[in-house]
Amino acid sequence: MTAISRRQAGFSPLPLFAFSIATILALPLLYVTYSAFSAKGEVWGRLWATRIPELLFNTITLAIGVGITTLVLGVALAWFVTRYEFPGKRIWEWALVLPLAIPSYVLAYIYTYLLETGGSLEQSWQWLIGSDAQIFSPYSYGGAWLVMTLNTFPYVYLLSRASLQNFNLSFEEAAHASGATRWQTIYRVSLPLIRPSLVAGLFLVTLYVVSDFGAVSLLRFQTFTYAIYQQMTGRYDYGAASILSLLLVLFAFLFLIAERWFRQQSRFFQTGGHIRTRAATPCGTLHALGITAFMSCIFAAAFGVPVLLLMQWTWDAWVDGNMASGFLSHIWNSTMLSGMAATIAVVIGTPLAYLACRKPTRFNLLYLQGAYTGYVLPGPVAALALLTLFTQHLPFLYGTAVILLLAYLVHFLPAGLQAMESAIQQVNPNIEEASRSLGRKALNTFRYVTFPLVRGGFTVAWILMFLQAMKELPATLLLRPVGFDTLAVRIWLEASEELYQLAAPPALLIVMISIPVALLLMKKNWQTP
Amino acid sequence: MTVLPAFRISQSVQMRRVIFFFVIIFVMLPAISMAADQLVVYSGRAERLIKPVLDTFQDKTGIQIQLLTGSSTQLVNRIQAEGPHTQADVFITNDAGTLERARELQLLKPMKIDGIEHIIPSAFRAPDNSWIGLSGRIWVIVYNTKMIQPDQVTSILDVADPKWKGKLAIPTANSEYLQAGVSVISAVKGDERTEAFLKGIRDNAGNFIYGKNRQIVDAVAKGKVAMGLVNHYYIYRYLAEHADAPIAPLLTDQKTGEMGMIMNATGIGVVTHSKHTAEAKKLIQFLISQPGQHMFADRNKEYPIHHEVKTDPALPPRKSFHVAQVPLAQLAKLREPTMLLIERSGLR
Repeated sequence: MTAISRRQAGFSPLPLFAFSIATILALPLLYVTYSAFSAKGEVWGRLWATRIPELLFNTITLAIGVGITTLVLGVALAWFVTRYEFPGKRIWEWALVLPLAIPSYVLAYIYTYLLETGGSLEQSWQWLIGSDAQIFSPYSYGGAWLVMTLNTFPYVYLLSRASLQNFNLSFEEAAHASGATRWQTIYRVSLPLIRPSLVAGLFLVTLYVVSDFGAVSLLRFQTFTYAIYQQMTGRYDYGAASILSLLLVLFAFLFLIAERWFRQQSRFFQTGGHIRTRAATPCGTLHALGITAFMSCIFAAAFGVPVLLLMQWTWDAWVDGNMASGFLSHIWNSTMLSGMAATIAVVIGTPLAYLACRKPTRFNLLYLQGAYTGYVLPGPVAALALLTLFTQHLPFLYGTAVILLLAYLVHFLPAGLQAMESAIQQVNPNIEEASRSLGRKALNTFRYVTFPLVRGGFTVAWILMFLQAMKELPATLLLRPVGFDTLAVRIWLEASEELYQLAAPPALLIVMISIPVALLLMKKNWQTP
Repeated sequence: MTVLPAFRISQSVQMRRVIFFFVIIFVMLPAISMAADQLVVYSGRAERLIKPVLDTFQDKTGIQIQLLTGSSTQLVNRIQAEGPHTQADVFITNDAGTLERARELQLLKPMKIDGIEHIIPSAFRAPDNSWIGLSGRIWVIVYNTKMIQPDQVTSILDVADPKWKGKLAIPTANSEYLQAGVSVISAVKGDERTEAFLKGIRDNAGNFIYGKNRQIVDAVAKGKVAMGLVNHYYIYRYLAEHADAPIAPLLTDQKTGEMGMIMNATGIGVVTHSKHTAEAKKLIQFLISQPGQHMFADRNKEYPIHHEVKTDPALPPRKSFHVAQVPLAQLAKLREPTMLLIERSGLR
C-alpha cells in the first residue's frame, strides 16, 4: 500500500490535464460574467427600465406554473401506477416516460398547429361550446405553459414513482392504527415521505423550463433565453445579451443551490427492520376505466397525437415528393457532430471523473465543479460566451465545427459526467490496486481493468450526450458552419416558417431515436438520498 | 487469461482506428465547405424565397452555392466576427439598412458592374456599388374589406388610434421591416410622435402580435382583426391561394406633402474578404438581369428594380403612389435610435 501511494505521489500529467479541461469548460461562464460587467452602465439602466422586470416575471411565473402542474400530474400518475392494479399497468408504466423523447421545440410546433385559429382543436371546441368560443393562442403564457408541462411531467413522475415503490408500508399502517383517516394519512405521512423526490423533480423541471429555448422561441414567449437570442440576432452589440445571460446564469445557479440545500434538509432514513412495500390495490372496472381514461388523455396530448401527426406529415411529404433535398446530409451532419461531441466528452470526462472519485482532493473536486458549470449555462448563453470568446481571441476558428463542438461539450458534459462518475464509483478501488501491485502501469490498469468494468456506464453517458447534442438548438443555430444544417436546425427553421410537412421527417427521426433513451431513464435509479 | 490480453489489444487497435477516423473528420470538417468553385451566400432572406433562384443560377453556371440563412443583423455580426477568415462571399438581405451598415463596417467590396447605372436607379444602390438593391417592397396596411372602409384610415399613424383597440395585428419587434418602417416614421415625424405611435399600436394589438406576415394576413382575412401591418406582397401571395379572401392593401399618407409609403429594398453585396469576386459578380449580374429580376422580385410579387421588368399587374402600379423621401442608406444610422424607441415603447 505504501509503495503504491508513493508511486502515485510522483508526477502525473493527469491533474494538469484535468485542470486545463476544467478551465476551458469554465471559461465561458467567466467570460459571460466579464462581458456583462464590462457592458456600459447605460445598457444596464436601459435593461432594468425596459426588459428585466418583464423577463423575470415571465420566467418565474412560467417556472411556477409548470412546476405546479407537473407536480400534480407526475404524482397522480405515479400514485396510480404504484398503488393500483389495473389492466395494462405495465405498459402504462413505460408509456408515461415516452414524452421525454420529444424535444420541446417539436412539441411546441405541433401545438402551434393544433391551437391555431380555425385549427382542429378550435373547431372541436366551438362544436362543444358554441361558435363564438375561442381557445387560447399558443403564442402566450398558456401555450408555453401547456407545452412545457406536457414535456417535463415525466421527470416528476419518474422520481415520485421510484420513491413510492420503495415506500415502507409500516409508516402508513402506524398512521392508520393511530386513527388517521385516509386523506390524513396521505397528507401527513405519505406525501412528506416522498417530499425529497418531489423537490428534486420540481427543481429538475424548473431548471429545464428556465433554460429551455426551443419551445419559448417558437411560441415567442419572452423569457430570458429567448430574449438573449433576440438580442444576439437583432442587435449589433452583444452588451445587452451578456447582461441578460449573466442574470439567467445567476438564476439557474440559485435553483441549483436551492436544490442541493433542500436535499440536505429532507433526508429520511429507514430505521432498522425490512421494508415492506405495499401490494397494489386491484381496481374495479369503473375505477380502472377512470384511471385508463385519465392516463390516455395525458399520453395522447404529450406523445400520442404529436407522434401520429408527425407520421402523417412525414407520410404526406414522402408521397408528395416533398422531402427536404438535403435530408440525408442533415442526418449525417447531426450524427457526426453529436457523435464527435459525445466521444470527445467521454475522453476528456474520464480523467475528471476518475480523479474526483479516486483522489477527491480539493483541487480535483474543484475541476469537477468547473466541468459542471454547463448546468447553469443555457444554450444561448453558452453560444454567446463562445462566440465573443472566439471572435476576440481565436477568430480563425469562428465558423468552423470546433466552436460548435466546444459549445456541446460545455453544455452536455455535466449530464455525461454524472453517469461516468457513478460508473467509476461502483468499481472497487481494490481491484485497481491489485492490478497495480501486480505490475501494471496506471494507464494500462485503467484500460484493462477499470475500463471494461465501467464500459456500460460510459456507454450510457455517451448515448445521453449524443442525444442531447443531436437535439441541441440555440448554439447550433448561432454557431453552425456554412452548409452544416443539422436535423434540429432544420426542424426549427421549417417550423418557424410554418412548413409543418417539411419539419416532420427530421422531427420524427429525432423522436424515434430518442425513444430508447427515454426508456433507459426508466431503469435509472431515481432514488433521492 | 493469456488469451484475454491479446483480445483486448486487438480491440484497442480497433479503438485507435475509430479515434483516428474521428480525428480525420475533425480536421476536414472546416475544409469540407471550402471546395474551390463555389460561392458561399449568407442570406437574411428566407431560404424558401432565395433557394429556387440560387438553384437556377447554379444549374446555369455550374457554380456551386452554399447557403447559410439567418437574421440579417446576426449575419452582419457574423461576417464582422469572422473577419478575414470568413467563408462568406455574398451577403443578401431583406433590409437596405443592414446592407448600408455592413458597408459602413467595410464588410462589403465596392464593385464595378458595367451598365449598372442604366438598370438600377441610384437610390437603390450604394454610391460605390458595394451593395445593390434587387427588389422593392412597401409596408402597407392590410384591411378586411368587410370590416372597415378604406377612408377610415388615411395615414399609417391612424392605426395607433385607440378606436382600433383589439382590431390591429402587428409583427414582432424583431422583424427588420418593422424596424425599418419605424426608422422612416421617426425620420419624418420625429421621435415623440413615433413613440406615441408605437405605444398606440402596442395597446391596440394586445395579443395579436405575429412572427410571420403570413399569419397577420391570415388573421385579417379570417376577421380576427380588422387590419394589420405587413409587407405588401404577403397580401397578393395570400390572394393567390384564397382568391375570395376579403382583404386589400391600403395606401396611406398619399396627399401632397404627406409622408408617403414606406419602402424598403432587398439587396446584395460582395463580402470584402471574399476570394470569389468573379463568381460573385456573375451572381449579381444574373440577379439584375431580366430573367433574374423576374425570378427574384416579380415571382415573389415584389417590385422589380430593373425598370424593364414589368410589375405584377395585381399590384398597385409603382407610379400610382409616392414613397417617403428617406434614403435607404439612412436606415443604417437610424437603426440604433429606432431600437431604443421600440424597446422603450414596450413592443416585443
